[in-house]
Amino acid sequence: MNTSNLIVCRCEEVTLEQLEEAYQSGCCSARQIKMKTRATMGACQGRVCRQMLDAWVHLKNPQLPRDAEQLAYRPPIRPVTFGQLAKGEV
Amino acid sequence: MTPAFPFDLLIVGAGPAGLSAAVEAASRGLCVAVVDEFPEPGGRMLGQFHEEKGHWWVGRQVAEQLLDKCSALGVKIRCGVSVHSILRSGAEWVLKTSEGSMQARNVLLATGSAEIPHPLPGWTLPGVMSIGAAQVMANVHYVKPGRRGLIIGVNVLAMAISRELSVSGVSIAGIVLPGIGPITGKEASPKESLKELMGLAHLAPSPLMRIGGKAANALGMAGFVSRFIPRSGIKIWDIPLRLRTVAVSINGRSQVQSVTLADVNGEGAVIPGSQREELVDFVAIAGGLYPLAELASVAGCPFVYAEELGGHVPVHDEQMRTPVEGLYVAGNITGIESALVAMAQGRLAAATISGDTGLLGQHHDQEVQEAMQDVRRVRASALIQFRPGIQEARDQFYRKCGRFQREKNGIKEEG
Repeated sequence: MNTSNLIVCRCEEVTLEQLEEAYQSGCCSARQIKMKTRATMGACQGRVCRQMLDAWVHLKNPQLPRDAEQLAYRPPIRPVTFGQLAKGEV
Repeated sequence: MTPAFPFDLLIVGAGPAGLSAAVEAASRGLCVAVVDEFPEPGGRMLGQFHEEKGHWWVGRQVAEQLLDKCSALGVKIRCGVSVHSILRSGAEWVLKTSEGSMQARNVLLATGSAEIPHPLPGWTLPGVMSIGAAQVMANVHYVKPGRRGLIIGVNVLAMAISRELSVSGVSIAGIVLPGIGPITGKEASPKESLKELMGLAHLAPSPLMRIGGKAANALGMAGFVSRFIPRSGIKIWDIPLRLRTVAVSINGRSQVQSVTLADVNGEGAVIPGSQREELVDFVAIAGGLYPLAELASVAGCPFVYAEELGGHVPVHDEQMRTPVEGLYVAGNITGIESALVAMAQGRLAAATISGDTGLLGQHHDQEVQEAMQDVRRVRASALIQFRPGIQEARDQFYRKCGRFQREKNGIKEEG
């Protein structure tokens, strides 16, 4: 199975190859890979791909505990309109 | 419209847990509001139906009964409203929504779960969807997702929804494994999938499956059984369940036209030369569910990882109370289980909140205890067990959370 150009984060169009490159360059945690590649940072805010990113990072180091570092959730957790921003509702 | 006064209880999510909690809390005298981002209340119940002991359990009817009770009790239900933030202001919660702010003394998060995809080449083509999306299209919007589809992923959700699709007149080419990939790992092997299926073997009308499941369950011999599964698969409700077949890629130029399948051995390795194409016009990926808990995190609730419950779960006790004051959880946000368990958890959360608010009087403890026992009873008799050993996993989770709470309160662990 050729999976190098497989898209993992659909919003930001991040491929498996890009995740691997980031990992090889020294990004070991999901958070570091997110910062490097923008995976999980698109319009859906990671609702589709963060579990896959977590699972992929976990498979790299299965012995590490999974409680330790979770990707952060920050408000607004749903897309908001410019109108709401302008009214100061966010 | 923002009311001038805060609600006693604001529930996020109008699914089985949220609506059950609303009915219970309002009948105890609390002023309750429910918000949900879907245009219609009911949550996933809207699309669920399955055969149970000779009759059909229809989620939409159960939702309608709960909604009737809600309106009789004066519960405010606002749909099509997304909550995008939650913050504490003095003794109250402020929820920022797409329709302005709402205030409440207590908040119950009943936000349910979200789906996990299985990425494979071609998974971003039009015509590929999650299994839940196929369910919503067929059972909520009454639109067939396609003429003939393939389900990738073997789990309870895949089985239940394939059955619903086939009852709705959608042809299902089969249910196959996702294959061992860079992201799926070994849980995608025939051995592991069979282990997971043990939990729902009693659902199968085929005696082979039932007997095979029971025997393997008792003997713990999932590996042994997987060698004996025929390549052509086992038919369950006329849907071929192919535990020796994986999806290699989804093909098509501008939309799904076919899926390349291959046979695998018991460990999940592809048998050379077994590749062939299955013509389908839609693919539903069933990668499982995880608790949707963004708001719990934003509210400052800590998390614990529990694989059997579906991933990172907000810390809470068996009464559905989180360590954050005035914040409660119920339903799939606490771990993946069926709608009936979610409903019992909703009633329990409402009893706990009523107790914490001082509404239950002297029988408070007893009522909460009874509601807690009810959750255990419903779980034990649930037809759809998402994972085997769920109660053990829950008990372990509550012990872990208890330790967490005691550490937070500065009480040292003994031994």
